[in-house]
This record gives sequence, C-alpha cells and structure tokens, in this order.
Amino acid sequence: MNSQRPVSIVVVDDHAIFRSGLRADLDEDITVLAEAATVEQAVAAIVGHRPDVVLLDVHLPGGRGGGGAEVIAASGGLESTRFLALSVSDAAEDVVSVIRAGARGYVTKTISGAEISDAVGRVADGDAVFSPRLAGFVLDAFGTAAVANVDDELDRLSSRELEVMRLIARGYSYKEVAKELFISVKTVESHVSAVLRKLQLSSRHELTRWAADRRLL
Amino acid sequence: MTRSSNGIIAGVCAGLAEHLGVNRVVVRAVMAALTLAGGAGLLLYAWLWVMVPIDEGAAATIEDRAGERPGPGRTARHGPAAFMKSLRSGAQRDVMSLGGREVVIGLALLFAAAVLVAEQIGANIRWESMLPVVVVLLGAVLVWMQLDRTRRAGLVNRAGANQAGGIVRIGAGLVLVIVGVLVMVSGAGRWEVMWSSVLASLAVLAGVALVLAPWGLKFWRDLEAERSGRIRESERAEIAAHLHDSVLQTLALIQNRAGHEQDVTRLARAQERELRQWLYQDAGRDPGNVVARIKAVAAEVEDDYGSAVDVVAVGDAPMSTRQDALVQAAREAIVNAARHAGPVSVYVEAGADKVEVFVRDRGDGFVVDDIPADRLGVRESIVGRMQRNGGSATINSTADGTEVCLSLQTEPEERQ
Repeated sequence: MNSQRPVSIVVVDDHAIFRSGLRADLDEDITVLAEAATVEQAVAAIVGHRPDVVLLDVHLPGGRGGGGAEVIAASGGLESTRFLALSVSDAAEDVVSVIRAGARGYVTKTISGAEISDAVGRVADGDAVFSPRLAGFVLDAFGTAAVANVDDELDRLSSRELEVMRLIARGYSYKEVAKELFISVKTVESHVSAVLRKLQLSSRHELTRWAADRRLL
Repeated sequence: MTRSSNGIIAGVCAGLAEHLGVNRVVVRAVMAALTLAGGAGLLLYAWLWVMVPIDEGAAATIEDRAGERPGPGRTARHGPAAFMKSLRSGAQRDVMSLGGREVVIGLALLFAAAVLVAEQIGANIRWESMLPVVVVLLGAVLVWMQLDRTRRAGLVNRAGANQAGGIVRIGAGLVLVIVGVLVMVSGAGRWEVMWSSVLASLAVLAGVALVLAPWGLKFWRDLEAERSGRIRESERAEIAAHLHDSVLQTLALIQNRAGHEQDVTRLARAQERELRQWLYQDAGRDPGNVVARIKAVAAEVEDDYGSAVDVVAVGDAPMSTRQDALVQAAREAIVNAARHAGPVSVYVEAGADKVEVFVRDRGDGFVVDDIPADRLGVRESIVGRMQRNGGSATINSTADGTEVCLSLQTEPEERQ
C-alpha cells in the first residue's frame, strides 16, 4: 500500500540487542545508514547522514536528559528527515513529549518487522503513523465528543477525525478505516495528519498539563 | 559548580577552574591579583567558600583526613552528633522526659516556697537580685521546651524550625536569658547601664553569629545531603526488591522453559504487564472502575490462553451490576477471540452516558448464524446477557477478522 522506493534510515536506541534485531527484521528496501545509542551520537549521525527516516527511541542516555525529544529538537531544521518514535513505554507523557517535539508517529517495540517496515514507509511518505494506543491518548486528551464551543480550531477534532481516531483505537488499519467510512486511504491519511498537527500544536490544557508536569515546555 | 577536594586552602580556585574549564594556576593568579586590588579577591574567595557546596566525593576525603586536619567538614560532621549527645545526657533530659512541664513548675514552686520560708525565718533577701535569676530560669525553660520538642524530629528538622511558634519561643527564651544574665552581671538595676551593656552584648553576639554562620550553613547542607541520600537509598532499595521479586524470577523461569515457546511468550507478556502496571500505574484511575476491571479480565485471559490482549481505554466509569454484566460479556468475547484467533485488541470507551467495548481479532472469522444451537457462548453469554441488561451486542465477522461491539447506556439514576 506504500510506495516501494528505497528508504534510508538511522536507528537510534540504547540497546544494541534491540538495534541488531530490528535491523534483521526490516524489509530489504530499507537501508540502515547508521546506528546511535546516545543523544549526541544520534544528532551527529542524523546531521551527518541525512536519512529519510529516523527510528527513535523515546528514552536515551546522554544530552541534557531529554531523550528522543531532545534529539528531534537538536537536529531540527532538516526538512527531508522525519522521525518515527519507538518505545517500550506507552505512558502518556512519553508519547506526547516526542510527538509534540515533532515525531510523525509512534509505535511500540513489540511491533513486528513487517509492521515497522510499513510504518517507516508511511512516515517517509510524509504520513502520520498512529498506534491504537496513541489514538486512545488523542481521544482522551481531546475528548470523545465533537465539541463546538471551543474557539481554537486546533483544540478540537472534527467529527470525521474523531471517527477515524476511534477506528484506529479499535485496531483498524488505515485501509480498513477507509473501507468502514467509505472514503479513500488518502483521505484517512490526511485526517490522521491533521490530527497529528493538532496534537503537536494544540494548547488544550490536557496536553499542556502533561507537558508542564514533565517540564517539556 | 562544586569545590574541589584537593585544593590548597578550601578548593575554591580548583573548583572554579574545573567549572570554567581553565587551568587552575590561572584562576589562582587572577584571584591573587584581585586580592591585591583592594581585597576583592579575598572577599570573592570567602563568598565562594561559604556558598559553594563541596564536591560529593570530597566530603569523604575530608572525613578521612579529619584525624590530622580539623577542617570544616569535621566540625560539620561531628558537631551535630556531639551536640545531640550533650543534649541527651544533660539534666534536661531527665527533667523533660519525666512528664516535663509539671516537674519544672513544681521545682519553681518549691524554690519560691523555700525563699518565702527563708524570709519568714528572718533572712534578709534582696529581691532585686532574685529577679534576674528568675528571668534566666524562665528563658532557659522556654528554650529547653522547644529543643525537647524538636529533638525528636532531629534538632533542626525543617518543619520544626520553620514553625513560627517555635521560633518565637526560642527567641523569647534567648532574650529573657540574655537580659537576666546582663542584669545579674552588671549587678545594678539601673537602666542607663543596662542599655549600653545590651548594645555591647548584641554587638558581640552578632560577631559570633557572623563567625559561626558558614559552619551553620555547612551543618545544614550536610544534614540536607544526608537526608536526600537516605531517601534515594530507600527508593533504590524498593526498586531493587521489586525487580528481584518479579523480573529476575521471571527471567530465571524463562531460562528454564527456553524450549517451550508458548510458555516463554506467556511469561514474558505477564511480566511485562506486571512491570508496566508497577511503573506507569495511573493513580487517577479507580481500581474498582470499568476500565480497570476490563484490563484485569484481559490480563487473566492473556495468562490462560497465551495470546496477546491489548487494551486501549478512553475515559472511565464506575461499576454497577449492569456494568458488571458488560465486563462479563466482554470477557466472553475476549476469550473467544484469544482461543480461536490469536492476538486481540480491545478498545474501551467509557463516558458519563455510555460505555462501549470493542473486541477485535484478526482470525478467519465465523458466521454467527452457523453456530450450533447448543453452543451458548456467543448467543447467551454475549448477545443475550447484553440484551437482558438493556444493552446491545453486535458481531461483525469477515474473512479479515471479527469484531464484537458491546454497548451499554448508563441509566439516569446510575449517573453521578
């Protein structure tokens, strides 16, 4: 379902076992340019290799202790490079911090090789990758009802976006969401990207509270 | 920035050099030059000495050297202990611990009675010389009372020392003692003499305070460092104990069962769930609520059938008998999915007016109408149970998988 062009990536994770396992699991058209284990190595590798996608662990040693979010901030300004966050943790603050720092998606480490390759391709194409759990966070933060009395467009989800998020939370793939809602996969992708943008830019108090609690602002 | 442990005087220059990334000889030269410039360097040095805490590792070094070099570290370390010891062994402990106040008041009354009796007998008592003694005693009692109270929580316990009442009491006690002593020493009740001696003694006291301030500060810092160290230590111990009881045990089990793929997966999943629960437990969620119940049910099924059950939850709702039926129906659906179709994803959306549960798997699917009439699982435990409780259940099954949707409206009287 994705374009099959070769994708270059940098893998950032502090566990060597996980990095090598991931490398073995990835599709053949994905080239691993470099690996990094700390914030400093990651920034150097990303700036040096300019990969299409960075697979980025949320928790990383080094730097100022900011982990994945710090890597994104420090290597920002690279238009061509996109970040896919990767973590064993599904705690809300971890997810929200990297997404708000600019990651295009979030997957947990228990994901299979095929799924992660698919997610990498998707992010490389500029789309957003939402796991069911991330969709759950979005619904928790933005509320499950389409609210009309919020002024800022960024602070609420449209009813279509809500429907899409709900289906993703239920474990539907983009294709299945498209089928269920009688829309094209491209439309689903654009809805998800819109939600991602809101998640990154919204000033909803639930999101800012998370951020403030973890001193992410 | 911290002071270095291997400096010449107090490690200020060495610490500063390390902090700035400059050669320490340069820093020392600059400091010396500044000292020549009107003593500015001296002031700066003294200020840094007082304000900058000593390097963690250095404290130990000083402790080791304490025998040959009585440095400030030694005073700070041994000071409090010795002070506390003298406090504890003093007569004050015997008086205060024996029902405290009553004994003191009794002694005072006895003393007063003895004085009165003496006067009755005919002794010539000079009342003006008695007064200062009484004042001193009163002040001492006030201070001791405060010390006795705070001693339990460790003399300079922050909470105790910050209590306005405690400070006022200590202050009042000190003032009374000082005034009393002065009157006694000056021997005259005349105000002019009193006044000038009060000023003089205040000046002396201020000087002493200035001299002792750095030590006091260090003493305080040491106490704080020790306290935070203890807290860290106990946290570490708790984590270590937990990891030992859970993760290490499971890893051992996994090594034993390495040949049995199913068992290993199950153990790893169960351990992961347990650790996650411990690390990220959501304090805001009531364990008796719908979401927690469904998560517990999912964990149970995961253990029993060995296939992963992922629960994503949004919102929460309190339990009632009808919600209980919903959880039971959800359990049945999860069991079916786990038994026949492998990995299951569960989505719970609980709001004020409605609770919905979606159980999805990626198995081959089945046709609901084809289920034999004697198989009650789906028909009775899921659909029938939901209907009896005023909810609804729909089952969508295709070749790509099955999804069971359970929905239950909250009755108006159940809403909070």
